[in-house]
Amino acid sequence: MSNAPRPLPHPTHWSAGYWQAAAERRFVVQECRDCDRPIMYPKRVCPYCLGERLSWRASAGKGEIYAVTTQLAGPPTGFADRLPYVLAVIRLDEGVQLMSNIVGDGALEARIGDRVCVDFEPAGDMVLPVFRLEKAGATQ
Amino acid sequence: MQKARAAAVGIGEVPSGRFPERSEIEAAVLACRAAILDAGMSPRDIDVVMPVGALASRHFNVDLVFSRLCEELGMLRSARMNVQVMAGGATSASMLAVAEGLVASGLARNVLCVHSDAVGSLPKQTGIDLFSTTGVSEEWEAPYGHNMNAVGALASNRYMHETGTTDEEMAALCVSLRKWAELNPNAMFRTPLTVEEVMASKMVATPLRAKHCNMLADGAAAFIIARAEDAPHITSTPVYVRGHGSLVTHYTTSQDTDLGKLGYEQAAAQTYEKAGIGPKDIQIAELYDAYPVFAMIALDGLKLCRGERAGAFVAAGETSPGGSMPMTTNGGMLSQGHTAVGGGIAVLVEAFRQLMGKAGARQVPNLVNAVETASGGTWMDSHVTVLSKDH
Repeated sequence: MSNAPRPLPHPTHWSAGYWQAAAERRFVVQECRDCDRPIMYPKRVCPYCLGERLSWRASAGKGEIYAVTTQLAGPPTGFADRLPYVLAVIRLDEGVQLMSNIVGDGALEARIGDRVCVDFEPAGDMVLPVFRLEKAGATQ
Repeated sequence: MQKARAAAVGIGEVPSGRFPERSEIEAAVLACRAAILDAGMSPRDIDVVMPVGALASRHFNVDLVFSRLCEELGMLRSARMNVQVMAGGATSASMLAVAEGLVASGLARNVLCVHSDAVGSLPKQTGIDLFSTTGVSEEWEAPYGHNMNAVGALASNRYMHETGTTDEEMAALCVSLRKWAELNPNAMFRTPLTVEEVMASKMVATPLRAKHCNMLADGAAAFIIARAEDAPHITSTPVYVRGHGSLVTHYTTSQDTDLGKLGYEQAAAQTYEKAGIGPKDIQIAELYDAYPVFAMIALDGLKLCRGERAGAFVAAGETSPGGSMPMTTNGGMLSQGHTAVGGGIAVLVEAFRQLMGKAGARQVPNLVNAVETASGGTWMDSHVTVLSKDH
């Protein structure tokens, strides 16, 4: 089980720009050029106005932790070697939310409200956006 | 206020647990047989069969879709429609709403709703991986190691942050469910459980420990929905559907903007208004769990704790046998067992059973109104249904 590969994303033609940016160590958020709203996760059509004129907006990749858990046991296939790992729902400063891992110093002590910043982690032939605590080790 | 248009007139269930020798079709047939006999019907009185989606075996699910139950139960050339309804854990409330609509509109007379699955007999890692795909995005969440226990953990983290609920109070909900399961011969776990035992169990995904997490089980249950005006002629114990409300709040966990509350407040408000029945009129709450946090969120959202915080209310024993708001009296998925979609079906069948007065050692006396909840996938939706002995 521990040798099984970690599942990797299979980009769609409308999400490829997000993963391509990550491969270049850039973080982007999809936006609608008709109604100007940020969209997460990337969609085929704008979920607010159904527009098809979608593009990518550079993002600082900063936000705060909305919910967080440290997985210590019973992981899905491909993650046994990574225990313990930290899963979080992050609310970006753009107002959209996404799931990611919290990595690096202090990750196991991450709490709701902690400020985080994007980083990038190679996984197979992909690069995944992950997040680090902005003030690693500092108590809030 | 809405007059009841549909009623449950029969229920059936087989024990939950690990039964590798009992196939899904056998369990389904036995649950249906029990429900049909409970209603005093013949199979040929059923005109619509509604099998729930099964997860463990694709072949069995295909059998369900393609009318196998009609053939097994003697309904060929009498049943008019066999149609699968599937909304994950929310299928209980969703299929009840669909069946209600069919009988109320005259499109159906008697609808047999049935669930059977054998996820408890899957190898452990297969079960974990199966539930790491139900409402978990393959592209956006699976690559980070998301899984069903993490869903419960993230919601618990948010709920406890917002409400101040403690680990011990969450454990107390597991204990409350176990006390009911001790009285339920169909439950998987019937030995006494203490808060200390929950707190001493292994940490799985903070703040969830092993005994905060459900165990996958094999199981089957069935119920029959008839027109409200027919119901008293079919059975002496009809249970009327008085109101239903619901709200879809996400597909993936990360997209819920109110993960500590989900949609229960909105769903409850809709339901109470339709039913003309409010929290003060309810004597029993059959709340969907799977993890303690989801029953806690429902207790708060449905306003069942008389102004108290759900955690304090549960820790004081109010939801346990003898308490003022008996809750999830079959033991829930945490103690009766998580039979996949059937976890919610079992909770709904228990609501019918209690109002029918057929709950045996765990029968709550003097019941008139019950409230039931359900939610599917990663708690993508919040359903609230009020059921009553009164028309």
